[in-house]
Amino acid sequence: MNALSPLERKLASAAQTSLLDVRDLHTHFLTDTGTVKAVNGVSFQIGRGERVAIVGESGSGKSAMAMSLLRLLAYPGKVVSGQINLDGRDLNQMSERQLNQIRGGEVGTIFQDPMSSLDPVMKISNQMVPPIMRHLRISREKALAEAISWLDRVGIPDAARRIDGYPFEMSGGMRQRVMIAMALSCKPQLVIADEPTTALDVTIQAQIVELLRELTEETGTAMIFITHDLGLVARFAHKVGVMYAGKLVEFGPVKDIFAHPSHPYTQSLLDTIPPVDQPERRRLAQIPGFPPDMKVPVVGCAFKERCAAAHKQCFETAPKLSSRGPGHTAACWRPEGLGTARHLNAELVPSMVSNTEDPVVVEIFNLHKHFVGRSVLPWRVPPTVRAVNGISLSIRKGETLGVVGESGCGKSTVARLLLGLDPATSGDIYVEGMAQMVFQDPASSFNPKMKLSDIIGEPLVVTGWGTRAERGDRIRELLTQVGLDEGYMQRYPSQLSGGQRQRVAIARALALKPSVVVADEPTSALDVSVRAQIINLMVDLKHQLRVSFVFISHDLLTVSYISDRIAVMYLGEVVEYGLTDEVFRNPTHPYTQALIAAVPIPDPVAEEARTKKPLSGELPSPLNLPLGCAFASRCPKATDYCRAEKPALRALSPTRDTACHYAN
Amino acid sequence: MTQEAIVLPSRRPFDLAWLHQNGIVRALGNRRIQLALAILGPILFLTVFRPLLPIQGPLQTNLREMMQPPSFQHLFGTDKMGRDLVSRTLAGVQISVFVGFAVAALALVLGLVMGTLAGFFGGIIDRVMMTITDIFLAFPSLLLAIGLVSVLGTGMVPVVLAISLSDVPRFIRLQRSLVLSLRTRAYIDAARTVKASQLWLMTRHIIPNTVAPLLVAASIAAANAILVEAGLSFLGLGIMPPAPSLGNLIRDGQSYLEQAWWISTLPGAVILLIAISLHFLSDGIRQVLDPRSHK
Repeated sequence: MNALSPLERKLASAAQTSLLDVRDLHTHFLTDTGTVKAVNGVSFQIGRGERVAIVGESGSGKSAMAMSLLRLLAYPGKVVSGQINLDGRDLNQMSERQLNQIRGGEVGTIFQDPMSSLDPVMKISNQMVPPIMRHLRISREKALAEAISWLDRVGIPDAARRIDGYPFEMSGGMRQRVMIAMALSCKPQLVIADEPTTALDVTIQAQIVELLRELTEETGTAMIFITHDLGLVARFAHKVGVMYAGKLVEFGPVKDIFAHPSHPYTQSLLDTIPPVDQPERRRLAQIPGFPPDMKVPVVGCAFKERCAAAHKQCFETAPKLSSRGPGHTAACWRPEGLGTARHLNAELVPSMVSNTEDPVVVEIFNLHKHFVGRSVLPWRVPPTVRAVNGISLSIRKGETLGVVGESGCGKSTVARLLLGLDPATSGDIYVEGMAQMVFQDPASSFNPKMKLSDIIGEPLVVTGWGTRAERGDRIRELLTQVGLDEGYMQRYPSQLSGGQRQRVAIARALALKPSVVVADEPTSALDVSVRAQIINLMVDLKHQLRVSFVFISHDLLTVSYISDRIAVMYLGEVVEYGLTDEVFRNPTHPYTQALIAAVPIPDPVAEEARTKKPLSGELPSPLNLPLGCAFASRCPKATDYCRAEKPALRALSPTRDTACHYAN
Repeated sequence: MTQEAIVLPSRRPFDLAWLHQNGIVRALGNRRIQLALAILGPILFLTVFRPLLPIQGPLQTNLREMMQPPSFQHLFGTDKMGRDLVSRTLAGVQISVFVGFAVAALALVLGLVMGTLAGFFGGIIDRVMMTITDIFLAFPSLLLAIGLVSVLGTGMVPVVLAISLSDVPRFIRLQRSLVLSLRTRAYIDAARTVKASQLWLMTRHIIPNTVAPLLVAASIAAANAILVEAGLSFLGLGIMPPAPSLGNLIRDGQSYLEQAWWISTLPGAVILLIAISLHFLSDGIRQVLDPRSHK
């Protein structure tokens, strides 16, 4: 770069007056087995009032980087070198005491888990008021008034009373609102939010994101937003930084990055997400291999082993961030990264027209599951949670049924009933053949003391299937089907990555050739690139083996990609049921509409055009369900009739059932 | 579909599988276990090879050399009957160590079985067992052992039974809590979906995963049993004289503490060493078997 263009000069001068200017930040974790270089030379600038999203897979160093800014890392993490200039002062040179003036004052923080980031034994007021007094130097009374007004602004009803409550009296969404109020109450110039909505349901996430956007815009607060959800980035951020192996590999304005990603990693990440509007389904891109071991020094580009476009130079010298447009930089030797033609390589997934001739393999009729608690007084009626409240579904051979809904809607309970793990209170379940399960948490789904051959072979041994040699052959066949080789038979689960574990879980589920496999959030614990691998695998198996899947998830994009039919659940009931593409294009139930509107889509232009009116309120307690429609308390269209009379699931068209009085 | 590279993730050296294969190697590399073995090893070696040592037998008296202070010939001195205290201490260690390990093994097995049943089946079995263990736990274990010995009589077998019975409730409690936390694991559900029997679930999935914490508890129980046995013998309720248990030796020397301090003190120091090394051992086992607690 010899002569600066006028635009670049303007940007350079903006950088001088930027709010936060991080230069060559290095953070190491000094573990027993070696130094993990979690942040390996990160530089970026944030202007006032700018919202910057930092994305990357787990282990990319994004959280370590954010925590380093305020030196919030616990031992063995340590900021080794770098400048962190906030308004011209280097935070890295400050003493702990000086830094405490900044923390919570000029820079607020919001953490991921609202359940553990508030002190459970302190009243909200005691957690909010002293920091306000200290940082704004005002009296207790004024600080209390300020705190109440902030709680009011973040949408806590009856704030003056709730401020004297304890965190356990609030739901997760409420607590995250309190965290936001705390972070903003000292009028910070910058807020660092580490995955602030990951632990929340989609409709609550939409509320929180909307709230954060409104409030930061109002107060002119800049924000660093750590996330792995590219949809949220598109909805929320001005700028995006993509991190890989402790380095920023791409940084730029959000629209630019989504429209013209130029680093192969960014390109692959964007391609792993199921597209929203899909006349035809293409295989999702998957990133092969694993991120590098951060204890070992990386020669050349850290992404080279996983990059299709890697060439000699990539193995020798690490590329530096170089300009790809106004304010847009990427660290890749190739100007185009993988190139723009990469989409054309993606294979088409043959569409499976669901055939009404196919036999029904699962039939659920009027299923109920009530959990009866113990009553306070013996003669009182005990409290009853109606987790599943009369649902009827059927699944044909080879069909994939997606079940979506927020946590507490009863979708996992349906899965357990279907598998016979819990007895139903009433209703009928008919399964032709066998139902098997793939669990959510790959860490706890295997006995850590068993080898993979024993894990996959367990169903065979238990049911007395074949001889030892036949079982061995079957295990090898299963491993091949899920894309693992024989060498894995002697491994233990702890030696596998999350994606490999989920493959093994699928192999175990398929061992006895079940007619239906129930997958309860099988991809929610996985990183996006691995998620794409598992989804591709399930799509392949669905076609090869003609096995039916029940895919339970709160991730609507994934469900819509993989399912033929979809059932939307709310408070133990199915409120809408139909062909996936139809339901997504034209949702008829107000809850489905709200759910689809709440899902952020990874396209900033489309996001801008969408109306953002998040669903208000939270899921009512399933302990005392309302008399009428369960959704009436949150429904924008609810009338007195809805509150009095419960709508039944009725057929709107041959392929669509909806439980709403006003749907048409 | 097979694009995921088949790479062995080499960056998790502390996982259980690796331990499985290299458990013993790793255990010997642990600092605490090394320390424990450095103390226990020589003591046990001398105990085993005592008959070959050029010293008097533990019961052999020598009235010409009564109450001799420690010397070259009698490293720990002699007692009021002129018996060599090194020899008697080593014989006592033999009894103590046997009692310690017998108690630990018995308590572990009983606790494992009953705790697994209580935790796995719950309901009425659980409630009955927990009530009984709670009653047992309300008494100090030494007091309980004294009570049981007075019913069962004295001698080696009653002592072992008494001490292990007073330890069992603790093991039941521990095992039950471990089982309760394992019972809801996804792999148990996975096995249940293929109609695995209760026995299969317990023996294949639950018990193997509770062994590590139980071993830790057992090594502490062994140390405790050695102390309790010494206590019982000291009170005259344990191993009957002239058999030289460590508690008996301390009791013998008790009345001569002012004239011959060595009679009680040196066997006492040996008990202390054994108890401490067993605690180190249990700490070491915990560190080795629990990958998370690695410093």
